Amino acid sequence: MSLPRADYDPRRVCHNPCPNVTLGKHRRTVGVYLAGALFALANWTFLDAAVLSAHAKSKWEDEPPVHVTFVDWIPGICSLLGYLVINMIDKDRVRGEEGFGDSRAVWRARLVLFIGFALMAGGLAGSVTVLILKYILMGYPPQFTYYGYANVSQSVALMLSAVVLWIAQNTSNEYEYNLTL
Amino acid sequence: MAAGLRTVILLSFVLAVGFLLIILSCALWANWLPLLVALTFVLAPLPNAVFSHLASDEFASYENSGPVDLGRFTTSLIVITGFALPIVLAHSGIIDSKASAMSIVGGGLVYGTILAYSAAFNQSESEYD
Repeated sequence: MSLPRADYDPRRVCHNPCPNVTLGKHRRTVGVYLAGALFALANWTFLDAAVLSAHAKSKWEDEPPVHVTFVDWIPGICSLLGYLVINMIDKDRVRGEEGFGDSRAVWRARLVLFIGFALMAGGLAGSVTVLILKYILMGYPPQFTYYGYANVSQSVALMLSAVVLWIAQNTSNEYEYNLTL
Repeated sequence: MAAGLRTVILLSFVLAVGFLLIILSCALWANWLPLLVALTFVLAPLPNAVFSHLASDEFASYENSGPVDLGRFTTSLIVITGFALPIVLAHSGIIDSKASAMSIVGGGLVYGTILAYSAAFNQSESEYD
C-alpha cells in the first residue's frame, strides 16, 4: 500500500479505501449503468428461482420435495437493506475530510457504513448457509439445489453492484473536483 | 429536413415491427403476460428524462451527481428487467420459449427506437446525457 503516512491512524479499526482513480466522465456513466444492471440481474436470478419453485407443482404430478419459502428470502432482504444503507451514506463524510462539522458525525457515518457492509456480508453468509443446510445436505436433485445457488448468486451480484457503484461515484467526484478547480 | 423525415418514417416502422412482435408473441399462444415487456421498455427511458431535467437546473458542477445517477441506475434496472422477465417466465414454463424470444426481440426494437429517436432529435442537449 502506497498510502501517505498521514492517512494512517492506528486507532481506526476499519480503513475505508476510497480509491482516487481519475477516470473519464463516461466511465462514471458506464459504472452506474453497470451497477443498475447487476442489481436487476441479482434480483431476477432469485425471482427466477422463486417463480420456478411456485410453478413446479403443476409440472410434476407429485409434490416436489422442497419449495422456496420465506427462509430463502431473508438473505436477499438483508443484502437489499445493506445496499440501501451503503448507498445512502454521504461519501465525503465517510472519508472524514475537514470542515464537515464535528468528528462525531464522521464516526457515526462510519458506524452506519459498517452496519451496511455487515448486512451485505450477513446476507451473503446467510445465503450460503441456506444453500448448504437446506439444499446440499438434504441431497436434493440439481433442479432443486438451483434455488440455493440462485440465492448465493443474488447476494454476490448485489455485492458486486455495490462495489461498482461505490467506485463509479468516487471516481467522478474527484474528476469533477479537478475540473472545477 | 428530408433526412429527418426519412428517419422518422424508418423509426416508426421499426417501432411498429417491435410492437407487432410483442403482440404476436402474446396472441399466438393466447397468453398475454409478455405484454408486460412492452410496458417495461416504454417506461425505461422515463427516469433518465425526468432526473436529467431535474439536475440540469442546479449548478451543474457539484450537485448533479445524485439524481442523474439515480435516473441512470433506474433506467438500467428497468432495461434489464425487460430482458429478464420473459426469460424467467419461459424458464418456469409459464410462456413458450419462442414467445419469450419474440417478445425480447420486439422489446429491444421498441427500446432501440426510443434511444435512436432521442439521440437523433436531442442534439442540443446531448452534452448532458
